[in-house]
Amino acid sequence: MYRYDEFDHRFVAERTSEFRGQVQRRLEGSLTEDEFKPLRLMNGLYLQLHAYMLRVAIPYGTLNSRQMRMLAHIAETWDKGYGHFTTRQNIQFNWPKLKDVPDILDALASVEMHAIQTSGNCIRNTTSDPLSAVAPEEIEDPRVTAELIRQWSSLHPEFTFLGRKFKIAVTASDQDRVALKLHDIGVQIVQKDGRTGYRVLVGGGMGRTPMVAKELRGFLPREDLLPYLEASMRVYNLHGRRDNKYKARIKILVHEIEIDAFRDQVEAEFVQMDRSAVAAPSEEVDRIIAYFVPPTLPPQAEDNAAIARMRKVDPEFDAWMRRNIHIHKRPGYRAVTISLKPIGGVPGDATAEQMRAMADLAKSYANDELRVTHEQNIVLPHVAVGDLYQIYRGLAAIGLDAPNKGLVTDIIACPGLDYCGLATARSIPVAQAISTRLADRQEEIGPLQVKISGCINACGHHHVGHIGILGLDKAGTESYQITLGGDATETAALGERTGPGFGYDEVPVVVEKLVDTYLDKREAKETFLQTYRRVGMEPFKEALYAA
Amino acid sequence: MPKTFHPKVLTANDLINGNSVFLTPEGWSDRIADAMTALTPDQASDLEALGSRGVDQNDVVGPYLVDVSLDSDAPVPLTRRERIRAAGRPSIAFIEAPKVGQAA
Repeated sequence: MYRYDEFDHRFVAERTSEFRGQVQRRLEGSLTEDEFKPLRLMNGLYLQLHAYMLRVAIPYGTLNSRQMRMLAHIAETWDKGYGHFTTRQNIQFNWPKLKDVPDILDALASVEMHAIQTSGNCIRNTTSDPLSAVAPEEIEDPRVTAELIRQWSSLHPEFTFLGRKFKIAVTASDQDRVALKLHDIGVQIVQKDGRTGYRVLVGGGMGRTPMVAKELRGFLPREDLLPYLEASMRVYNLHGRRDNKYKARIKILVHEIEIDAFRDQVEAEFVQMDRSAVAAPSEEVDRIIAYFVPPTLPPQAEDNAAIARMRKVDPEFDAWMRRNIHIHKRPGYRAVTISLKPIGGVPGDATAEQMRAMADLAKSYANDELRVTHEQNIVLPHVAVGDLYQIYRGLAAIGLDAPNKGLVTDIIACPGLDYCGLATARSIPVAQAISTRLADRQEEIGPLQVKISGCINACGHHHVGHIGILGLDKAGTESYQITLGGDATETAALGERTGPGFGYDEVPVVVEKLVDTYLDKREAKETFLQTYRRVGMEPFKEALYAA
Repeated sequence: MPKTFHPKVLTANDLINGNSVFLTPEGWSDRIADAMTALTPDQASDLEALGSRGVDQNDVVGPYLVDVSLDSDAPVPLTRRERIRAAGRPSIAFIEAPKVGQAA
C-alpha cells in the first residue's frame, strides 16, 4: 500500500491546522457562513438535513486495518457509532459536530487519511478496481496510476476551482468494475504492440444529464498520461460552461462541441504545452510502484479438502462461497466480498464494531488490506483458500455474511431523504423493502443490479441499474421513476424509462412484477439484463401498466 | 387567485452541532412542538427577522420557514422532508452505538 511521503504529511498537517483555525473563527463569529461554507466544503464537510456530514477520502478505495480501525474510532467517539461507505469508495459520517471536526481530521491524519477534495468543484477521489492485484485478467495494478493521478490532482492550483466537480476512474482490466464510462475521465490501462499505455475516455457521467463516455485517445504512451490529463482539464476549464451549474460538467462540453472538436483542442494543447514540466519523474513513478509490489503470498493448494467438506455440511457457507468469492491471480487464493447489504439493512452502512471486525479479519487473513467498492461493499483482496471458512464465521458473527454479491438484494442506494439535504425522496427504506421482499428468491433470480437514487443527482447510480429507481417529488408526494437496462460495466448503457412513476409503497411490488416478467421470459441461463436486451421494454411495460 | 397561506414555523441548523432546530419563545430548540407559529404573512416576516438575528448572533445557520399543519397538538410539517427533519433522525432504524466511556 502507498505510504505518505514528506510532502503528503506536510500538506495534510498544514491543511488540518488551517481548518482548525477556520472552525475556531467560525465558532467565534469572525467568519460568516457564506465565508465559511466554501472552506468547509474544501475539507469534505457538508451541512445536511439533520447535521453536519464529513466525507473522508479513501484513495482508490484501499485501506489498511489501522485505517479501518481509525474509522471505527471516529464513528464511536465523534459520531453515532456507524459510517456509510459510498459509491465513490469513500466513507461518510452523518453526525459530527462542527467543534469536533478538527479533532477528527487530526485523527485521520495520524493514519494518513484526510477529507480534502471530497467536495467542491475540484478533482475528487480517483477511484479504481476493488480487485486490483487480484483479477487474473488485469494488465497491472491500476492503483499505481490512480496514485499518480491523486498526487497530480491534489491541491492542483489550476484545477481547484473548476466549473463543477470532476471524477476520474482507473482500471487495468477489460472487465469494468469501476463504472469507467460513467466518469468525467476514465483511464483504462491497455497494451498495444507490446507496450503498455492508456486508453482515455471522456465525458461520461450520471446526474440529471446522463452520458456514456466517448473515446478521447485509443492509446496514450505511459509517460504522457499526466500531461494529457492536464491538457484535457485545461480545455474543459477554459471552455466548460460556468453560467449554469447543471451544464458545467465536461460531458456537456464534449456533447455540445462533439468529441472530435474536443479531441482536436486537447491534442493542440498537449502539443504546445511543456509536457516535461507535468509528466511524473521516473523516480517518483518507481517510488509509487514499489508500494504496490504484489504481496508475498506463501504457496497454497488450490483445492482444500476441509473447505470442500464445510461447503457440503454448511449450505449457507456454500451459498456465500458461490456468490461472494472471486478468483485470484495466485492459485490457492481468493478475494472475498463482504456484503454491506444484509437483508433489510441499510446499503453501505457499517457499525464501529463491524469496522473493527473487518479490520481484524484483514489483518489476520488478507495481507492487511481492505478495499471499498463502488457498489458499497468491502473486499478482502488476498485470502488463502484454507482461511475462507474462518473469515465466513467471523463475518457471520457480525451480521455481514449475506451471500448476495450481485444479486437483487445487493442494492446500491444513496442516503436519500433520510439524510441528504438535496434529496427529493427516500431511497434507503425503498432498498430495505425490496431486499426484504425478494430475499427468498434472490438465488433463483440470479444477477440483477437494483440502484436507487433519491434525487436527480443520481448518487445511487440509478441510470446504470439493471433496474434503476429514481425518487422524485411530485406535488409533495414521493414518486419513483423506473428505468430498465442500465449497465455500469464494459457494455455500459443508460436505462430506459418504463413510463409514469409509482408511489413509495408500490415500488417493491413493481420490482417484483419486473422480476416475474423476467423469469417468465428468461431463456436458459439468461440474466435479467440479457433477457431485457433480447425481449425489449414491451413485456415489462405491459406487466406494469396494463389494466 | 391568491396563494393559500399555511401556518409556518421557523427552522435552521444549530451552528455547533448542525442539528435541525426551531425558533421558540425561549430561543432555538430541537422540539418543533415548542416552535412559535406564524398565522399570517406579517407574523412569518417577524419570524424571519428573528431568524436573521439568530444568524447574526452566531447561533444558527440557514433559517427558513416551514409550512405546517396545526391539526394536532404540535405543528406538523406539510412535506415529508420537513417531517423527517423535524424528527431529528432518519425515518429508518439505525444502530446508535454508545459513546466511548458510556455504559451500553
